[in-house]
Amino acid sequence: MRNKTEPQTLGELLAASVALAKDPSAAGRWFLGSMAVLAASFAFVLYQLVAVGHASFNTSSDGVNWGMAISTYVFFALTSSGLTMIASLATVFGFKQFYPIAKRCIFLGIITLVAGFSVLALELGHPFRMLWTIPTGMQVMSPMFWMGVFYAIDLVLLIIKFWLMLKGDWDSPLSHQVGNAGFVAAILASGMLGLVFGSMAMRPMWYGSFASIYFILTAALSGAAAIIVTTYMAYDFDRKQMPAELKTLASSNQFTKVFAALIGITLVMIVTRFWTGLWSNMDGLEGFNMLLRDPLFHVEIWVGLVLPFFMMLSPNSGLNKTSQLVAAFLVLGAMFINRYEFVIGGQLVPMFKGNWTNSLIAYTPSAIEWALTVLGVAMALACYAYGEKVFDLSSTPSGKAAEPSGAVRAAG
Amino acid sequence: MAKWGMVIDLEKCTGCQACTTACSMENSRLPGEHWQDVIFYNEGEHPSAQMKWFPRPCMHCENPSCVAVCPTRATYKAEDGQVLVDWERCIGCKYCMIACPYGVRFYTEEKPAYGGPDAKRVFAADDGHSWSPPWKGPAEDWKHGVGVQPSDVVSKCTFCYHRVAKAPKGTADLDPQNPALREFTPACVVTCPPGARMFGDLSNPNSEIAKAIGNKNGVRLLDQLGNKPQVYYLTGEGGAVPANRSLPPKKA
Repeated sequence: MRNKTEPQTLGELLAASVALAKDPSAAGRWFLGSMAVLAASFAFVLYQLVAVGHASFNTSSDGVNWGMAISTYVFFALTSSGLTMIASLATVFGFKQFYPIAKRCIFLGIITLVAGFSVLALELGHPFRMLWTIPTGMQVMSPMFWMGVFYAIDLVLLIIKFWLMLKGDWDSPLSHQVGNAGFVAAILASGMLGLVFGSMAMRPMWYGSFASIYFILTAALSGAAAIIVTTYMAYDFDRKQMPAELKTLASSNQFTKVFAALIGITLVMIVTRFWTGLWSNMDGLEGFNMLLRDPLFHVEIWVGLVLPFFMMLSPNSGLNKTSQLVAAFLVLGAMFINRYEFVIGGQLVPMFKGNWTNSLIAYTPSAIEWALTVLGVAMALACYAYGEKVFDLSSTPSGKAAEPSGAVRAAG
Repeated sequence: MAKWGMVIDLEKCTGCQACTTACSMENSRLPGEHWQDVIFYNEGEHPSAQMKWFPRPCMHCENPSCVAVCPTRATYKAEDGQVLVDWERCIGCKYCMIACPYGVRFYTEEKPAYGGPDAKRVFAADDGHSWSPPWKGPAEDWKHGVGVQPSDVVSKCTFCYHRVAKAPKGTADLDPQNPALREFTPACVVTCPPGARMFGDLSNPNSEIAKAIGNKNGVRLLDQLGNKPQVYYLTGEGGAVPANRSLPPKKA
């Protein structure tokens, strides 16, 4: 199944891509399928941008300025930060039982961040201008400036860490330092992304340092959900095919407990956020009432978070493969709704527009905005299929995971 | 160095929107993209409801949150106090629109603000401008956000930078009644039929606007947000400055 030798030069990586496209295996079909979706959505987005321009977005100066493309970016960027945090359980904090998912986490952290950046770049009016305006402007007052700086550092560190892992260097002092720095960068980046919203005193639905903490902690949850889904995907949703160390982790309650704790923390944060939003009389908080009436919000809370929380708490079903998968899928969906609700919700109260815009804003994503979301997902899936096939993502410092291992490392 | 500011006397304002129209003509605005707008809103409920109006240009704040958030320094505070957008630096991220408490910024590439027809297509441009209106003004200055804008940038009221910047140095008041100063005065001030608008140097204690703010209790819109607008309103007996965004009250 797996390549014993992983490609390390650019030429080898490209050759592996061609080989994968020709491969009749499940991974090959995933790769081809998601590449086709990626190509189609990219073509549609480009056509819309050239033929209609940014008027094809359903955003407007009177209301929602940042639409679904931004919430998609936030979803991917925070998932990436969360994956780095999960990888750090093993690589920074030394919980060795989490080693079997560390490399996959780092790889997914890279590709989700790239997918997020791609969606963001296609939403911007003049993305290439950033290359000279940001360095020459050095606007250190802007949270968006620091978000860019920290995510750029985060991406570079993730790539270095992955490259070191490819070379089998998991435990050298250099590798540890890169891992530590990457963890700090992911925290700073997701926290700063929170401040992009949290600094806005004129938009009280976002305002406050809470937004930063909220993003950091909920990032960890989407990262956890993403790694569960993708780890099972790598083995055709069959735990029996997993290498021993990974199987031990998947069927122990270690990860389930972490997952349940993260869902619980997220639920508390959402409830407290809505409590203050619905209770307080401050002008500008009216959007919380509207969000509460939105069926999507209730899908997010009850189906996407409360249900998985109880599934993961139950000692019996928590260890069950199907339960873990269903819970992870539900949580991933809930987190996507959550980012959408956060970004769009914060803009529902119009700025000073009087009777020209005299109620909460109505917003529905346009075709190009949906296409950008599809593009991001397809890009992540294509890169994921490639990564699973070409790199040995389940390997651990103790040896190649694909090789049958006699001694199963005891969890803990 | 001047600190240009505006005073709007709400006792005199009749809500006629001549300012909105003059601004649109002067600055080649798209239909519906009103850099200067007169906001109508309801105060109270039946049977004591009132229909009110409120003229609202860009506030050209002393502490502009839009300038602080711009990641590229495309939007900036000019020497004489105007908040401007450099259309050659703007990346179209719209963060300034998110950060503006007054809703006075516009993204230039959107669906028509009114149902249609799309003026950008009817008067299509082929030279880098987002459109080619039939009534273009002679001034064009992308570094200061003046004129017909390019696509995919943010635009806003410039306090008629192209006029005001040419005023003689040290001028305390740009009074449209003075023929020598009329061409340097912002279009909305020149055109206001009841003379409800005054424009001058806030940093000069002898300017008419500084005196009016002091003598008649000039107040600022949504002052609690700390942006410190350079546009002041005189309320007198006739008008009021809304303290909030004028949405209907929360239902318990």
